Amino acid sequence: MGKVVFDVQYQTSLAFLISYYFYCTGLSAGSFMISTLSYGFGFTKFKPASKMGVVAAVLLLLLAPQFLLMQVGWPIKSVWNHFVYFNPVSAMSYGAFLLMLYPVNSIIYGIFMFKGNMKMTKIFGLIGIPMALAVHGYTGWILALAVARDYWNTGLMPIVFLFSAMVSGISMMILLIIIRDRFFTKEKVINHDLIDSLAKILGWLLVVDLFLVFCDYSVLLYSKLEAQEVAHFMLFGKMSFWFVILENLIGKVIPMIIVFIPGMRRSYFWLILAALMNMAGILAMRVVTVYGGQVLPLM
Amino acid sequence: MSNPHKKEQHTGKDLPRWGMVIDLDRCVGCHTCEIACKMENDVPLGIWRSWVKEIEKGKYPNVVRSFRPTLCNHCENPACVKVCPVGAAWQREDGIVMVDPHLCVGCRYCMSACPYEVRYVHPQKGMIDKCDFCHTRVDAGLKPSCVEACPASARIFGNLNDPKSDVSKLVSTKSVTTLKPEMGTDPRVYYIGLDMATMEIKREAKLVWEK
Repeated sequence: MGKVVFDVQYQTSLAFLISYYFYCTGLSAGSFMISTLSYGFGFTKFKPASKMGVVAAVLLLLLAPQFLLMQVGWPIKSVWNHFVYFNPVSAMSYGAFLLMLYPVNSIIYGIFMFKGNMKMTKIFGLIGIPMALAVHGYTGWILALAVARDYWNTGLMPIVFLFSAMVSGISMMILLIIIRDRFFTKEKVINHDLIDSLAKILGWLLVVDLFLVFCDYSVLLYSKLEAQEVAHFMLFGKMSFWFVILENLIGKVIPMIIVFIPGMRRSYFWLILAALMNMAGILAMRVVTVYGGQVLPLM
Repeated sequence: MSNPHKKEQHTGKDLPRWGMVIDLDRCVGCHTCEIACKMENDVPLGIWRSWVKEIEKGKYPNVVRSFRPTLCNHCENPACVKVCPVGAAWQREDGIVMVDPHLCVGCRYCMSACPYEVRYVHPQKGMIDKCDFCHTRVDAGLKPSCVEACPASARIFGNLNDPKSDVSKLVSTKSVTTLKPEMGTDPRVYYIGLDMATMEIKREAKLVWEK
């Protein structure tokens, strides 16, 4: 119909550093969940994963805010102002407090776990669960409350983020446990039972994750013009390699098939491959969501 | 410490409520407003506080060139003010949406939330910047620079609370429209004769990867 003779080039507001930040908080929340399964909820099968889970959660959550600080224009001022000038209607304002409290709680929880104090470990583990959910859920809210972008502005966004966090966290835990058991223990025997249970959980979480993506896209494709445009951009446009191939095929569908076929699940080669593919796919998901969600001009 | 811009909602009729009407029947697409804005506000190269989107449509001989001057809409319910984590985006009592450089940390969340994409990162300051209706000029009793410079008087600025002002008369007697009313932001920049083709987005938008 028309051609654009003169157009203004828009700046991209949130870029790749924010994707890495979301990825790290997701991995952290996921591994924290695994570590609380035995101490908080009494699934003793997962006890060998607990200590590794809490160490990974703390380290990743110390790494994650560094990406944020690299992205903002004024890093030191931003730390100060976030705590001093609190805006109760901004999701990002709560994030600063969560990013502060959650690692502190995780460290206390970890110290009690390493000392063998079961009662206190359980208390701090149970406090940590809603915090882990919040610290990753709020990142979804940040995007969902940016009303201008139809790809983000959906109530599913925090839930999608939580499920992708758990999925990638479990994949990371599978890899870490295999490496630890194989190379850093005296027996050099991998805890097969634990890995098998984690792989089964991974499979079912991937089913839910794929279902959520389907719900999201089916609504986008029937929604208003901007939403249809962004869905087409993801499915058939310039982002389709990242979204269809990397995120969903390599990151979710193939790992799901691998962990649901018992023969493949019990082979460590296939399981490690599935976990690696899933971790790469979730990283692609963060890039697709953050960058792809806001790259189309709005008007 | 509480937020210094925690404002009491302005409802008093004695206070002005600044607004703008852009008459596109008069606009000739000369881009003078862009340049006047850049000169007045010292806007760096590559970014704009106000710009004119220009499209050509139709097939020869039935063709038209449509324009859409764009600036901050100084919404009554601004999305940027709600999401700002440090309260740096704030609204004056006369409705002008401002950025406080002492509070802004450059997190760019407001840029993602603004449905009109009028906010930008100032390359030298590392903070968010945008149109502020030339608030220093307005406070001194002058009109914003773009209004003053427009050769066709297509931009009309004034007090929407005053029923005798030009903007109030135009808003109440002409068929005016605002940009993206479905966003619920309630803009205070009105357009007369806006061609909706200038609001179209393209399916295959040019991807510019950030450096």
